[in-house]
Amino acid sequence: MEHSVTFTGENINATIAVPTGALLSDAARQAGVEIGQPCGGQGRCGRCAVQIQGGKVRRRSTLRLSPQAIQDGYGLACQTVVEGDATIYVPPQEKIERTLTTDRVAAEISVPPDYDYDAVQTIRRLNLRLKPPSMDDQTDDWSRLQTALRLNGPFESITASLPALRKIGNSLREGNWEVTAVLDHDWPNSGRPARLIGLWPGLTQDRAPLWGIAVDIGTTTVSLWLVDLISGQVKAQVAEYNSQIARGEDVISRIIYASKEGGGQEMQRRVLDTINALLETACKRVQITPQEVVKATIAGNSTMIHLLLGIPASSIRLSPFITAINHPPALIASEVGLHIHPEGSVDCLPGVASYVGADITAGVLSSGLDFAEKVNLFLDVGTNGEMVLGNHEWLVTCACSAGPAFEGAGVVNGMRATTGAIEEVWIHSQTYEPDYRVIGGGKPKGICGSGLISLLAEAFLTGILDKAGNVNLTLPTPRVREGAHGAEYVVAWGAETESGEDIVLSRVDIDNLLRAKAAIYAGFTVLAEQTGFPLENVAKVCVGGSFGKYINVEKAVQIGLLPDLKWEQFEFLGNTAIKGAYLALLDWRKRQQIADIANRMTYIELSADNTFYEAFTSALFLPHTDLSRFPSVQAALAKE
Amino acid sequence: MPIEIPKDKWPGSVRKVTLGATAAEGGTRAKTVTVGGQTTMPYLQFEAPTPNPPVVAIEIKSRKPADWSLLLAETWGEAMADAAQWAKKAEEAGADLLVLALTLEDTPESAVKAVKSVLAASGLPLIVWGPGQAEKDNELLVPVAEATKGEKLVLGICEDKNYRTIVATALANGHLVQARTPMDVNLSKQLNILITDMGLPADRILMDPTTGALGYGMEYGYSVMERLRMAALQGDTMTQLPMIVTPGFEAWKAKEAKVGEGVPQAWGDWLARAIHWETITAIALIESGADIVVLRHPESVKRVKEAIGELMTA
Amino acid sequence: MALSGIQIYKLLPQTNCKECGFPTCLAFAMKLAAKQVELAACPYVSEESKKQLAESAAPPIRLVTLKAGTEVKAGNEVVMFRHEKTFYNKPGLFVRVRASDGDIAAKVATIDKYTVNYVGMDFSVDGFAVEADSGDFAAAVKAVRSATKRPLILIGDPAALPAGLEACSGETPLLYAADSSNWEAMADLAAKHKAALAVKGESLDELADLTQKIQTKGVEDMVLDLGGKTMGEWLMRSTQVRRLALKSNFRPLGYPVIAFPGKAGDPSKESVYAAQAIAKYAGFVVLDSFTPELAYALLVLRENIYTDPQKPIQVQPGVYEINNPTADAPALVTTNFSITYFAVANEVEGAGLPAWLVVTDADGMSVLTAWAAGKFDAERIAKAVKEFDLASKVNKKRIVLPGHVAVLSGELEEELAGWEIRVGPREAVDLPAFMKQALN
Repeated sequence: MEHSVTFTGENINATIAVPTGALLSDAARQAGVEIGQPCGGQGRCGRCAVQIQGGKVRRRSTLRLSPQAIQDGYGLACQTVVEGDATIYVPPQEKIERTLTTDRVAAEISVPPDYDYDAVQTIRRLNLRLKPPSMDDQTDDWSRLQTALRLNGPFESITASLPALRKIGNSLREGNWEVTAVLDHDWPNSGRPARLIGLWPGLTQDRAPLWGIAVDIGTTTVSLWLVDLISGQVKAQVAEYNSQIARGEDVISRIIYASKEGGGQEMQRRVLDTINALLETACKRVQITPQEVVKATIAGNSTMIHLLLGIPASSIRLSPFITAINHPPALIASEVGLHIHPEGSVDCLPGVASYVGADITAGVLSSGLDFAEKVNLFLDVGTNGEMVLGNHEWLVTCACSAGPAFEGAGVVNGMRATTGAIEEVWIHSQTYEPDYRVIGGGKPKGICGSGLISLLAEAFLTGILDKAGNVNLTLPTPRVREGAHGAEYVVAWGAETESGEDIVLSRVDIDNLLRAKAAIYAGFTVLAEQTGFPLENVAKVCVGGSFGKYINVEKAVQIGLLPDLKWEQFEFLGNTAIKGAYLALLDWRKRQQIADIANRMTYIELSADNTFYEAFTSALFLPHTDLSRFPSVQAALAKE
Repeated sequence: MPIEIPKDKWPGSVRKVTLGATAAEGGTRAKTVTVGGQTTMPYLQFEAPTPNPPVVAIEIKSRKPADWSLLLAETWGEAMADAAQWAKKAEEAGADLLVLALTLEDTPESAVKAVKSVLAASGLPLIVWGPGQAEKDNELLVPVAEATKGEKLVLGICEDKNYRTIVATALANGHLVQARTPMDVNLSKQLNILITDMGLPADRILMDPTTGALGYGMEYGYSVMERLRMAALQGDTMTQLPMIVTPGFEAWKAKEAKVGEGVPQAWGDWLARAIHWETITAIALIESGADIVVLRHPESVKRVKEAIGELMTA
Repeated sequence: MALSGIQIYKLLPQTNCKECGFPTCLAFAMKLAAKQVELAACPYVSEESKKQLAESAAPPIRLVTLKAGTEVKAGNEVVMFRHEKTFYNKPGLFVRVRASDGDIAAKVATIDKYTVNYVGMDFSVDGFAVEADSGDFAAAVKAVRSATKRPLILIGDPAALPAGLEACSGETPLLYAADSSNWEAMADLAAKHKAALAVKGESLDELADLTQKIQTKGVEDMVLDLGGKTMGEWLMRSTQVRRLALKSNFRPLGYPVIAFPGKAGDPSKESVYAAQAIAKYAGFVVLDSFTPELAYALLVLRENIYTDPQKPIQVQPGVYEINNPTADAPALVTTNFSITYFAVANEVEGAGLPAWLVVTDADGMSVLTAWAAGKFDAERIAKAVKEFDLASKVNKKRIVLPGHVAVLSGELEEELAGWEIRVGPREAVDLPAFMKQALN
């Protein structure tokens, strides 16, 4: 049976007919009404709440709604099904906070000292002066061009696509047989012919910029650097949330969404929209058009690369966790859908496995792990934690699902690291009174990842939590109490907070954080055990991703998230994936090196046996069941 | 040339734990029971003698249980209605010590009364279990612990989410605790750390790694115990505690022991099967390192005690 | 001495050619270290490396196979404790008959037919031991053979055994037993008939001496009877033999062990002896008394001890009763990962709330992991609800899903027509409150 559902709201007025049992979220999409679903329609995040103003619907889950909200007619669009005609009010959509600043390390990116455009760049630009044809020389345009290219460059054979061929005649004549040719000649001995990207009338100044982009497609954030391939300099850096977030915060939600009817195309469109918008912004900054960009080098986790290329990704999440492709071949912008020059080269960097993708191989490159004499550990923490242990002789890697706790999600008072987030906490060991710092300095709204780490560490060291994370309710302070989600500690009383409600660390939050940190530490343990290389002998820990930038190493060690090494052994590298992509964009030797890294890396599947669970339960304690692994924490506890 | 037998030399050993206190020690028990002290994997007498044999406890309840197998009801008869009577019969059946399980129907007063009556009826050391729900356990065990100060009872059952109250009262009244974790080496260790962090000496803790019955996950408990014992011998102090397990409870929960009708013919005779189930579960666990096994049927007690006798000689 | 993955890697070509079927040489090395692949899979390994690796790979306990219509294997074990890797070859369970017994064929036929089902697997005994006593041995073996196709153990002295061997020619039985007085004749018999030979000695020195002498007669497949009067003695000897083989690589005792629990004298003790033998390293167990209830218990014990402990700890899928639920109690759904199960069961049990807990087969993964890997979806949950006939246990057709998989509720409504699908909390901690407030 069909029912008519009407959506109203600010600039919204749409009616659509749907069958009984249709989800409100699906109806809205069909009606062209945008309702964000950051959790991918799992009823987890509560951000798709709408008000049912009339009609017949049924709510499957109301977990994220207060009794008052339900009484007021609210329902989660992703968990409410239509059972009759209905009128739905869509509240103004909470904008995903777009406060991403350009990477802070941006300005410091220096061109690799050995960068030599002529020697290591695969994109060649040539000024050609062709002999015009005549009745005596009736050579066709394409042969004439090929000959000129062979005479002026290191090419053995040259190809061009049909669209490129269509343009050469005009360009040659328009430039009066003086043209600028841009080719992708790949690396020496690649066996591939050089490919003509484009031909421009007239000659070009030698040192005039030639544009390329390096892109990192993160599950949460997409970053793009606009690079002058001649000088090697980064001319613009931009970043934006991946608009796929509206259809799921984690890769699994997105894979599932993509496997639905039309979902794959939507995911592809969303990430392309994000990249193309970034491209536009970056090009505007240096006053060029996106079509002037002739090469894109792309890093990203395996799921992101699959979704970008529109390759079905379902097998990634299903045992035995196989990607469709780890190393995509050389592609052309027009077939991918990137708005750079349609014939521009698109190079998707190679990954290793379903959960260890090109972001990690690129990260390893930029960290220098694969050349290190001593054994180092590389770590990239996001929703998933990926880690690599090794040196110039061997590399092993694994990935573990940490969950989004360190990104402030899945925690009652958690939030992203934006204005209003408590980012650091100190607790008095006798009074149990906290002191905290808020991003932006105003009233606190919640706690972000670094705040949670520091809060957990402080609560543990002051005895508010026992080693299992139980809140000690017998302490003489009103800040420990029985709450809605088990025992909790009050970090900020309602009077101090933005919302007027207490900000607490609950038992459920503690469990989430413990699981997240245990998963990451267990990953280290498994790598160490499987190779027989003791963790305490690791020379250096390189932390990539945005995770590392703001956390306090001491606190992270105190909760057993990072191994107990000296602070100078930790190195925070920022976004190593895009740095790696940038290096590969410039230098074919680095590009080869990434392929070599991907080939050399030995992936350990953690679900293959119970070694990981052992390590995990062992790490599910503060700081760890085996305290001797954390001598500095042992000392700190003895002092308290 | 005689063969050289490889012998393991371990740096660590299991702690000795003594249950119960005689009049001279501030209690009223006729005798005490000491377990632990091993310096080898179970019963490898050629490496070192086993200092204390494993012991058998019989589980009785403060009131007649409604859900126990008919076979158990038949063997204990009227005594099940009276904890003191039951305790006497259990002692006669060969128990080295007793477990008294309190029930949800108990009040603090009735619990104290039941414990006192058992202490009066039998001179064996006593383990007292709460009914197994955090609040109720705490409500009953605290008055019991206070009323029996100095007896060196074992109070159970501490779990990672509910250990503070029981440990605190054990600490204040000179008792021991039973620390239970669900079949995991790390969890066992973690709970022992939490309890000793409260100041209870490690030689007043029995660890209960939990086990399943034969056919119901027994092998997990079996390997967890072997690993715990090995860790203890390797010198890991937080695993150097004697282990208590409850094969009686587990086996009699299994359909094989609990019911006699509507089961496959290949299962054979009910009573014989039930005894096998309890006995074989217990023997396997003793072989993997159990120091105290808690049983329910007198025939199983007899068989297990005989086996222990044989394991102690070599 | 076992080598670590990195140590083995250093002996490999390190070319990552992938021809062994693994993506890198290190991945292959780790599989080698875990004894999950054969070195032969590498086409480029050097002779020198081969030699070094072979030493760390040879099985220290000989694999002995008894053959007739079916086979029984023992040996090839690599660890002292099952958690260190796993125990591989389940000890063969044999039942002894004597030539003087009446109606041997009927007795054997009954036992031969015995099967018992344990979690979907059918178990039975593995073979029979026939002892030459005062009766007609050849006739007895024939009678046994007429009633079963399973392998045999022939017990007797060198004079009696040939008649029995003739009656089962073409098979590989086990002859019991060579000792210091008859070993030459027994070895000749075993060699002639290509049978395996049990060797009996009162001390390990004596046993080792015998096996070495017998080996010179061309007999390779041997089985040790360690003697020992008490359980303590047996455990000691069995442990020593295993240790000598595994740790000292002492070949003269690198054979499987046979146990006769019936020597305990009384059937109640025999069961206990047999249990110990199964747990502690026997390769063959010969029972004197067969009853279905004992066979069932021992077969289950054997299965439990020989289950691969490397697999994640799983709970048997099914409907579990918590706090004696009535038909009005709610039905909760979770996965069969033990830690997940315990988390849910303990919360509900601890709160004193009766409930039915539907444990689905999710390959032993936690809720989120299983969902991510497609092992905990609407189809599997629906299958569990139907297979375990939940409808017959509850009045209200309603199940509660873990909050983490709220997304499944829609599909589940389709799969389980007529059932109400409720979404519970995400964390087990919140279950009691949810059950009290939301489930009425």
